[in-house]
Amino acid sequence: MAGERKFKRREILSRGLSLGIVAGGALILGKPDFLSAKEKSARIPDLVAVKNGEPDAMFKKAIELMGGMEQFVKKGQTVVVKPNIGWPRVPEVGANTNPLLVKTIVESCYAAGARRVYVFDNVVTPTPSNARNCYQLSGIENAARAARAIVVPVDNFSYREVRIPGGKTLKTADVHSLILDCDVFINVPVLKHHSSTHLTIAMKNLMGVVKNRMEYHLTGLDQCIADFCLYRKPDLNVVDAYRVLMSHGPSGPGNPRSADIQMKKTLLMSRDIVAIDAAAAKIFGREPESIGYIKIAHAQKIGNMNLRELKIVTYAM
Amino acid sequence: MTLIKTRRILSFAIFILFVLLFAGAEKMSAVLSGILPPLQFVPALLRTLTEPDVVFLAGLAFILLITMLFGRVYCSFLCPLGTLQDLLIAGSKRLGLRPAPSYAKPLNALRYGLLVLTVATALFGSLSLTCLLDPYSLAGRMLTHFLQPLAAHAYNLSILALKPFDLYLHPKQTTFIPLAVLATTGGFVLLVSVLALGHGRLYCNTICPVGTLLGLLSRASVFHLALDPKACLACRRCESACKAACLDPQTATIDMSRCVGCFNCLDACSSGVIRYQQRRRQPDTGRWSPSRRRFLLGGIAVASGFWALNANLREVPGVREAGANPPVTPPGSISAQRFTQTCTACSLCVSVCPTRVLTPTIAAFGISGLLQPKMNYEKSYCDYECDACGRVCPTGAILPIGLAEKKLTQIGEAELLKDICVVYVDDRNCGACGEVCPTHAIHFTEKETILYPEIDHQYCIGCGACQLACPTTPRSIVVHARGIHKKAREYVHPETSAGSGTTTGPDFPF
Repeated sequence: MAGERKFKRREILSRGLSLGIVAGGALILGKPDFLSAKEKSARIPDLVAVKNGEPDAMFKKAIELMGGMEQFVKKGQTVVVKPNIGWPRVPEVGANTNPLLVKTIVESCYAAGARRVYVFDNVVTPTPSNARNCYQLSGIENAARAARAIVVPVDNFSYREVRIPGGKTLKTADVHSLILDCDVFINVPVLKHHSSTHLTIAMKNLMGVVKNRMEYHLTGLDQCIADFCLYRKPDLNVVDAYRVLMSHGPSGPGNPRSADIQMKKTLLMSRDIVAIDAAAAKIFGREPESIGYIKIAHAQKIGNMNLRELKIVTYAM
Repeated sequence: MTLIKTRRILSFAIFILFVLLFAGAEKMSAVLSGILPPLQFVPALLRTLTEPDVVFLAGLAFILLITMLFGRVYCSFLCPLGTLQDLLIAGSKRLGLRPAPSYAKPLNALRYGLLVLTVATALFGSLSLTCLLDPYSLAGRMLTHFLQPLAAHAYNLSILALKPFDLYLHPKQTTFIPLAVLATTGGFVLLVSVLALGHGRLYCNTICPVGTLLGLLSRASVFHLALDPKACLACRRCESACKAACLDPQTATIDMSRCVGCFNCLDACSSGVIRYQQRRRQPDTGRWSPSRRRFLLGGIAVASGFWALNANLREVPGVREAGANPPVTPPGSISAQRFTQTCTACSLCVSVCPTRVLTPTIAAFGISGLLQPKMNYEKSYCDYECDACGRVCPTGAILPIGLAEKKLTQIGEAELLKDICVVYVDDRNCGACGEVCPTHAIHFTEKETILYPEIDHQYCIGCGACQLACPTTPRSIVVHARGIHKKAREYVHPETSAGSGTTTGPDFPF
């Protein structure tokens, strides 16, 4: 049977209705502050998981269950959507974020009133020719442009150094100015196998906004991945687990016919980057504790990997 | 249209095509590389000798034919270095900088000496002199080492200017040219410019081995320029118009071995005394000319000198070093030795390489292969999906083996230094090398959630991606050249475990 499993439809409806009344009331009174963080966290689920739909439909359902894009993007704000565009691979290989998902998110941001939406990723081998290949082959450049996003290519000079407060190994990072200057940061990784860290999901995807990535590899990959989240956590994480590359990641084979793909047709959404990585690991078939950076980030209280302690809304289409 | 006008338009158009070949967009270079180099003497000759190709053979035949028919018109119509000098000369003339040239005696010892030396060294397996002096390769280096980086920097600057308007374009990668190479190319720019501005086409007539060789053929060309002494008014306008300094009005002779076929004299002579006509049987044919005697003697001396030297050639320090530890050569070059003996260092591969891994060297291949390019893995890596260098190489130094064969060509072999690799030393995940390995030669074994890299050498093609990605200093994974390239084994992906099946159940694992 399709439908909510943990919440009755009536319950969701009443929650949605009350949220609508609260939001509407707040707008009428001109006091958006009324939607205080305390109030919001009581209503917004910790994690939303949707499955058995197409990437665009699953995202629309998930953001609805999350309380709408308006929770995250306010009128006139600039948004950065950060997919994984790391590899010169076609979408069928599952090495990059699904282009349709990226397009749908950009559209949703504009619909919520965003002034500008940027799409960016620092590709894994950041030479200009490889970056161009990644942006084009992944289908993300065209998909994002079709939704009026500003697609920002890789360069060397747009990075600024920031201090990581409380970073154990990673003390400073050269972060792309788009991330430093934007109002809203939406992290849109793809879930896939990774030869260096077992899995790459949301936390690992943030390596694509820093320039000194090799420092991570040199000084401790798992610790640095966790440390970076102490600087800035994305305002929203959306994990693409539609087409999951089960082996030979992160690049996958050049030929999609050789790709070890499982059609999980799943999408996860959360503000907690550790929780979403833990849930994605479960979907892949691994225990979160077996992934170094998830364990470290949980210990550093960046987020919660104990899914049982979280309020999770699931929906099968 | 007069001959001179035709020459100006044609040569300028060809020169612009050369600029686009070396500094234009990738696709344009790919198209032009099939059209322009076959019409260049050295690439056409080398390709015909090493890897016969009908287009290059036709090009060579065409060059020889037009030279035997019309003299050294090659130098004024087809040669990019020739047109570059003409442009310099025309520019300085307009500025009133250039003194009116006058007839000069040929420097026979120098020009024939250089020709014999170039041919002899090439026969003995070193293209160094050809690399240095060939006008096509020299022009290619000037365009690749100076113009292309300048154009790329200008483009990237204009991208910066667009950024505030939220307009973003992919930047262009600039080629890394080592300082010594830049200085060498700069030196030749200076030499050619100084000679051109002071003495016209002196480079072409004294240094250029192609010019000297074609000059030998031009001596007996069917059509030639002749001055009628009886009708000459001795105004000497033709003499000051002659860029080659080969027209002597006093003796009423035009030295066809040095005449570059620019036809300036025809235009300068108002009274029609100079004619471009079919050669009549000359009375002095067969006479023993002193210049020819000197040329022959010099040639024999130099050739025998090299014959004696050859046995010890490999013992010259630079050569021996390169033999023991040669740089990695691009896929399609078969072996380092074959590569150095076929490449003329025109830098066309350097200019089209999208990752800019091909870097010109000074003497990385020893003194037998000056300025030839190597795979520079400290700066970049060879893109698995690219075979651009082989498709453009005009001499056959990098053969067009096709992408499928290129993907299985072992140009080098990676070595993992476990004593400095961070995973082995610190028991921490890194895996940078394995992420970027395109052939699955690098795989990982898991011990207590840590992933340790290993290399399966049968799959490694030596592309250098791992070396570039390795974060340690010095690198823990390095690619060593394969002196002779080998074929790698193709990695077969395991059958996906019912992989593409859709998991449609409504359950979530949490």
